[in-house]
Amino acid sequence: MERTEFKSHISEQLNRNLEDLFNQVLEMGGLIERQLENAVTAVQNADVKLAKQVLKLDKVINNEELEIDRLCARVLARQQPTASDLRLIIIAIRIAVDLERMGDEVVKTAKLVIKMDEEGVACHTLPGFSSLLEITTCANSMLKKVLNAFARLDLSEVMDVMDDEERMDETLKSALAEVTEGFKTSDLPPECLLEMVYSLKASERVTDHAANIAESIVYLVKGQEVRNIDPEKLAEYLQSVTE
Amino acid sequence: MSEQNINVALDRDHRSLSLENEKVAMEVKDWNLYYGSKQALKGINMIVPENRVTAFIGPSGCGKSTLLRCFNRMNDLIDIVRVEGQMTLHGDDVYAKEMNVASLRRRVGMVFQKPNPFPKSIYENVAYGLRLQGISDKNVLDETVEWALKGAGLWDEVKDRLNENALGMSGGQQQRLCIARAIAIKPEVLLLDEPTSALDPISTLAIEELIFELKKEFTILIVTHNMQQAARVSDYTAFMYMGELIEYTDTDSLFTNPQVKRTEDYITGRYG
Repeated sequence: MERTEFKSHISEQLNRNLEDLFNQVLEMGGLIERQLENAVTAVQNADVKLAKQVLKLDKVINNEELEIDRLCARVLARQQPTASDLRLIIIAIRIAVDLERMGDEVVKTAKLVIKMDEEGVACHTLPGFSSLLEITTCANSMLKKVLNAFARLDLSEVMDVMDDEERMDETLKSALAEVTEGFKTSDLPPECLLEMVYSLKASERVTDHAANIAESIVYLVKGQEVRNIDPEKLAEYLQSVTE
Repeated sequence: MSEQNINVALDRDHRSLSLENEKVAMEVKDWNLYYGSKQALKGINMIVPENRVTAFIGPSGCGKSTLLRCFNRMNDLIDIVRVEGQMTLHGDDVYAKEMNVASLRRRVGMVFQKPNPFPKSIYENVAYGLRLQGISDKNVLDETVEWALKGAGLWDEVKDRLNENALGMSGGQQQRLCIARAIAIKPEVLLLDEPTSALDPISTLAIEELIFELKKEFTILIVTHNMQQAARVSDYTAFMYMGELIEYTDTDSLFTNPQVKRTEDYITGRYG
């Protein structure tokens, strides 16, 4: 499937609407990328100002989701899309929800930075700090891959995203063990450690949403629903369709 | 190689979709039709499942109406038409020499694009086919007319004016009357050739609702130019193009994930 197929309808109006939809989803995805980058920088440099910017931009992102919903509703009501056009509408709605939730999760890391500043605790002294950076950085790279996959209708990196997601599950587990140990042994205030737990879990949720987006793109491109199928079968399927 | 694609294993839930659980009402094998030297239908193979709605879609001139008219031999009326292949109705050869065409058309009823009631009373329109069959018992006629009008969703609107001329009804009512007339003789299969293309949207919805109800008792084949209508009313959809059956599968699959690019281009309105 090629992007140009979505521009080859007899109805120019439909061509325009679907192109707008692609662009709006990519634009919203771009904003989340920026949020993730800023969150990483804010944590690394204990930059409260940047963390506050993250909170501010989240409101813009929430509006983007509404815009995508509106456009999808309009196309459904007025143009009755079918086949791949219909699948595009369905997944655009799904992706917008995933992106919006990603945005909410990133905010939790920004809040960690603000909270640590208030408590006078340096972020990098918290147990789980390096894992938090790792997960958030990985989430951003996963997001880049799925946005590329969506823009090019290319499934070649989908399996990477799925593997990343599983890897980050493991990273989260060991990070949480580290923080649990911190509760027992460190002198840091428990509310700071708790805030770290929230941030770690939130960052891992971002990777889950990236994986959801990857599944949505498989549905768009192949018409095949791959949610809830086990990873081995998925790998087999993706191999068979990307060869 | 033909692009024909009957019930491709779609693997939607890692299951293949098939007609295995359906009973067969009609079957078409290697069907060709020629208007003089011009071939209008090319090697059609399909099974029409019983008590289901099967829709035919495709651009003008693709052969969908021509194929529909084969099911009750309406094409016999055209001198230059020649057919090849096999077509059966519940196992009986539709084109066998011994097949009586009048009795075939009792078994395979038809409703056309434009409502065509007779210039008679509402009652007589519905009773017409029964009288042709020699039924004259007033009770039987009354009961059947009521049953057919109820089946066509028209009874409540006309029960107090059964003796009025049918030509005084609205277009939507006239079309439902034609459906009542067609089902009064209890056919096995009902052919609908663009039954709503001359109707307003509300009458169209009434007819679509009726089709949904009627499939409990009849096997329905419908030709429609309105793709959304096919998507709304049918269980199976056949996409035809230039005399060929390109794709034939369950309606959900055809409208969400067609397997043949030509189908996709047509239903999404793209330049093929």
